[in-house]
Amino acid sequence: MENLKTNAEITWCPGCGNFGIFTALRNAIPKLESKGINRKDIVITAGIGCHAKIFDYLNLSGLYGLHGRNSSNAEGIKIANPNLKVITFSGDGNGLGEGLAHTLFAAKRNQDITMILHNNSVYALTTGQYSPLTEKGWKGPSTPGGSFETPFNAISLMLEVGATFVARSFAGDISHLTEIFVQAIEHKGFSFVEVLQPAVPYHSWSEYREKVEFLEKEPETYEEAVKIAKNRHKYILGVFYKNERPVYHKGLYGDHNPLTNRLSQSDRIKKIKSFLFG
Amino acid sequence: MVHDVFTFLVGGKAGEGVKKAGSVAAHIFSSMGRYIFQMDDYMSLIRGGHNFSVVSTSPRWITSQYMKADLVVNFDKRSCDTHINDIANGGIIIFNSDEQESVDGIGVPLSSEAEKYPMKKLMYGVGAVAILSSTIGLSKDQMNQNIKNQYPRGIEDNIKFADTIYDMVKFSCQNKYPLERGEKERPIITGNDAISLGAIAGGLDAYYGYPMTPASSILHFLAKQAKNFGLAVVHAESELAVINMAIGSAFTGARSMVGTSGGGFALMTEGISLAGITETPILCVLSMRPGPATGVPTYTEQADLNFALSAGHGDFLRIVASPGTVEEAYYLTAELLDLVWKFQTPGILLTEKHLSESSMTINLNINDTKWAEPKMHNGGSYKRYKDTEDGISPMLFPPSKEIIKWNSYEHDEIGITTENADMIVKMHNKRDKKLRKLIEHLKTQDTVNIIRGGHPTNIFTYGSTYMSVLEALKHGDSNPTIVQPIYLSPLPIWELKEFKNQDNVVIEQSITGQFASLLSEKAGLNIRSVIKRYDGRPFDPIELSIKIKEELE
Repeated sequence: MENLKTNAEITWCPGCGNFGIFTALRNAIPKLESKGINRKDIVITAGIGCHAKIFDYLNLSGLYGLHGRNSSNAEGIKIANPNLKVITFSGDGNGLGEGLAHTLFAAKRNQDITMILHNNSVYALTTGQYSPLTEKGWKGPSTPGGSFETPFNAISLMLEVGATFVARSFAGDISHLTEIFVQAIEHKGFSFVEVLQPAVPYHSWSEYREKVEFLEKEPETYEEAVKIAKNRHKYILGVFYKNERPVYHKGLYGDHNPLTNRLSQSDRIKKIKSFLFG
Repeated sequence: MVHDVFTFLVGGKAGEGVKKAGSVAAHIFSSMGRYIFQMDDYMSLIRGGHNFSVVSTSPRWITSQYMKADLVVNFDKRSCDTHINDIANGGIIIFNSDEQESVDGIGVPLSSEAEKYPMKKLMYGVGAVAILSSTIGLSKDQMNQNIKNQYPRGIEDNIKFADTIYDMVKFSCQNKYPLERGEKERPIITGNDAISLGAIAGGLDAYYGYPMTPASSILHFLAKQAKNFGLAVVHAESELAVINMAIGSAFTGARSMVGTSGGGFALMTEGISLAGITETPILCVLSMRPGPATGVPTYTEQADLNFALSAGHGDFLRIVASPGTVEEAYYLTAELLDLVWKFQTPGILLTEKHLSESSMTINLNINDTKWAEPKMHNGGSYKRYKDTEDGISPMLFPPSKEIIKWNSYEHDEIGITTENADMIVKMHNKRDKKLRKLIEHLKTQDTVNIIRGGHPTNIFTYGSTYMSVLEALKHGDSNPTIVQPIYLSPLPIWELKEFKNQDNVVIEQSITGQFASLLSEKAGLNIRSVIKRYDGRPFDPIELSIKIKEELE
């Protein structure tokens, strides 16, 4: 697990929920390796925000992209070389604000990638503004009178647009989080994990610990999953939904791999000639 | 007829097969061994309005449509009103006598004849081909063969209809313009076809796009050819997704390209900047249409030059080049794909609607293309942003035991985020070194086309306007030197030095004269005057030749 850490200086606040995600991810990788997933094939992308600092700390290859565009980067990686296992990290502002369209479309397409949504319900790195998941009444520097927008419900949103694995976990429960990560990364199709994690300058651990509870059992149908996601509180942990449907790259080009099966220069020239001259 | 050029113009409503009739005419001419240039003028709508296709043909290489046509066929009154003055001396105008009062031309009852068949209005194009066939002296057999080849649906009805129309115009049109045959048949492609094929020849693996005229036909062409060439071709949710997906693909080593027009390019600029700092090889086709904003979607202009030259925030190397002809578009796209991989930086292929969507007969040396190859890491521990003498860090792609980190933050050599002052300077310097190396590289190849003339004034132009200028200079005998820089960033000032203290005139399609400003600012050229056109239409060679004559006298 130690060799999954780079030498980069860690600049999360002491006690930040991101440490839990970092630890659980490093736990999950060896478990995935024991299930036959090759570490060399794992590639990560991240947006911009506190969540994304994990890119510098994890000793894995990848692309540290722009704010909100990490899932597009991940899609592009998977489309070019479907042999790779792609994990994309996002914050709630990053993935459901600036990058909302990309998050929804990646799920709609059932891209075979994993999105880990670090939900701290605040724009932490930019000093505490309200986010797409912030509850009403939040007094941040951009909403001094209290925010008055209704937040998104990340789980029901992802169920609606077509994610085929949808789960919620908690940065304070490393073993549950590790287990969920393993399942999500193993899943074939778009897997979405919302991780509740306090950004300690804005929320305390106790706020979360009081409220979190586990699903009694995994919902058996899509409708049941939606019902629970919509009607119960947002601190319910567990796998809400798991299903299989065709993944995007198979629809695009079947069993082809554009990178490993690329045509040689001479084959291309031959085909261009026959295209132009019949 | 203007010298050796015959021009056919067909006009009607969208949905009546106007463009198709133009293409069929072009194929008829090319099958006679002649060269063609076809321009389609269409409105931003699906049905109705007024569209026209103009095809000029010659036994020699021809690089523009002519707006005065020898044969004009109109399907409706609006077309006839629009083109009543677009007839060359001695030319013929055909109008649809079911749709309007008689004018000074030849009336043909296209509507009532077409009504007799189930395809109705869809047959107007076949009627236009019949009129053309008679006019250029094709036999009915020859005409029918062409119709069979080009209109596979409802062949029997089409031939019956064509025969009727052919007979109707026999008296007034038959063999009025017998056309000389050329030496061999050549393929006809659009500029966007050439760009797509050039990219494939250069090593393209993945293409991303979002529909936007006049770049959409690259997406369509490549989507259709994806299986044949083993490509991934994706229509994504926005240009933001497009550029960021393409960058993701490039991270794996896939040669990736995107295409758009001004508005979509505006969204892509954040990605262009990302490619700058992550040193991502990425090629973007920017096909210009009149702006600002939505502007005039289906017409042409050259007003995004400055935008392309400075696209994306921050200091980084951008390669910008613009093809002058459809053939050059083929070679240049492969060449740019190679350059962006050699120098690991974004490149922009700048073109216009006029090149993207016009068709030409081509003489291509298909093999004569570059192949995109990066400098690769060969063993040992890997640093993505290793500082090297020329600033180019060797590449490595996953899967690898080595860690490969590309980073949008300023970073150290490994690719880890940094705020360290010395490291910021080091990385800026590293990326900056690539420009020197690039210039060294470009000095060994063609970066400017120069056609030497005998007149003391030089004409500077770029992009598809080059084709208009070439054709205009077929008329009159002023014989100036023509200079067409292919590369616009870095501008090949080493090639332009000799023109510094000479008399220079610029021809471009921008109201502010962006190209003229570039030449005077970067190359220190004196520009005496700028011939501009900015009504969305490409230059007409005859009109342009008069303007050139005025400037040069």
